[in-house]
Amino acid sequence: MNSLDPRVNRLPQLNEAISTKAPLDQFGTYEVFVQPKEGKPFQHEGIVHAPNLELAWVLAKETFTRRFTCVSLYVVDTRDVYVSPLTEGDKNVYDVLPQVAEQSGSKKNFEIYHLVKRGKQHVHVGTVQAVLPQEAMQLAGKQFNNGKVVFNVWAIATDTIRFTNDEEKELWLTLPEKKFRDASDYKGGDKLKEFLEKR
Amino acid sequence: MNLALKELLYKMADDQLILGHRNSEWTGFGPILEEDIAFSSMAQDKVGQSLALYTLLQTLGESDPDTVAFTRNANQFHNCILVELPNQEYDFSLIRHFLFDTAEALRFEALGNSSYEPLAQLARKIRGELRYHTLHANTWMKQLGSATEESITRLQNSLQIALPYALGIFEPSPYEAELIDQKIFTGEVALKEKWMAKVESVLNQTQLHLPDWKTITPVYGGREGKHSEHLQPLLDEMSEVFRIDPSAEW
Repeated sequence: MNSLDPRVNRLPQLNEAISTKAPLDQFGTYEVFVQPKEGKPFQHEGIVHAPNLELAWVLAKETFTRRFTCVSLYVVDTRDVYVSPLTEGDKNVYDVLPQVAEQSGSKKNFEIYHLVKRGKQHVHVGTVQAVLPQEAMQLAGKQFNNGKVVFNVWAIATDTIRFTNDEEKELWLTLPEKKFRDASDYKGGDKLKEFLEKR
Repeated sequence: MNLALKELLYKMADDQLILGHRNSEWTGFGPILEEDIAFSSMAQDKVGQSLALYTLLQTLGESDPDTVAFTRNANQFHNCILVELPNQEYDFSLIRHFLFDTAEALRFEALGNSSYEPLAQLARKIRGELRYHTLHANTWMKQLGSATEESITRLQNSLQIALPYALGIFEPSPYEAELIDQKIFTGEVALKEKWMAKVESVLNQTQLHLPDWKTITPVYGGREGKHSEHLQPLLDEMSEVFRIDPSAEW
């Protein structure tokens, strides 16, 4: 794929080996995942630039959760996100994942994310135990591949994630009252209509 | 009780409003986009907190929040001088943010047990915002206070400039004893002690040097309406749109 849009050129290719996302040439990038409500899965919201994981978490809080409902977030270094090939149409990425033999060694937890609709976010679907991220994706295929087409899979080792702890959840206590941060709260259209009718 | 309580509420509200306005001047000019957004959001929180405090004052017989915020002159404001100083470079704004918000978080923490229940409720309600503000400040202090020679030198110079003004946050109040007796507030002296310990504990995790407190002369006057030449221009700019049509609906 060759595009004038660098984001398109960064997309993983079909026959590429599973590897980490490529960082950009600025401050390092960190991927931000947000939980909109208790009981709902975390979903990918975007990236922040930051000098380290802790500041990434601090900056992600206002960059991605200053408007809409949120109960928790977490961040991870972009280089710790393992990305599968990307498919389209009715091709399920689990059908084209490179196969890896079962690994020996100590297993650790990997968080698994699915992209099931183009243009939408990757959503957390569960956790698997594996030695390698490639193996984690393969295991995820057995556990979370329910027939629905999945275009892309991410695997992230749980111990590389900066989570929100229980005490920090109070950061979003007053968020529901901050409707003024949403343009629709100003009812600009209604006010303009009223003003024009008065003329 | 009323006079003592009003004095406390006015100085807190004015601090938040003026620093909220100052920090909002960074909107669009922050060092990186993410920090610009975070600093602007916290500025908005501060203005929101000042509104909550002015609303409490209204229940005690004062004018409505907009009138109080936008129609007073500099000598009628009770903020400490620290918050009205120009932003200068980002290092100064960060140091001020750290010194002021550490004090504000401790002040509201104490007010969570205030006998004046509306203030105690407000303190409990905004504890998450204050936690974020201090977390943001402390994280940057630890990062930049140990990063490069330039970042350490810049922060150190700003610290030297800001400290005398920061001690002005705790300018003695004529109502100190009354506020303590009536269990409204633990008082400026106790707050200053806690603040100094907290500032020390964060700066000890950096390469910044904290001068001996005894060598720093506090800059007072703000609580009595005696301000620097920087406050009136800020007020003129802040109230410019309001004054065009005070009855406008927003």
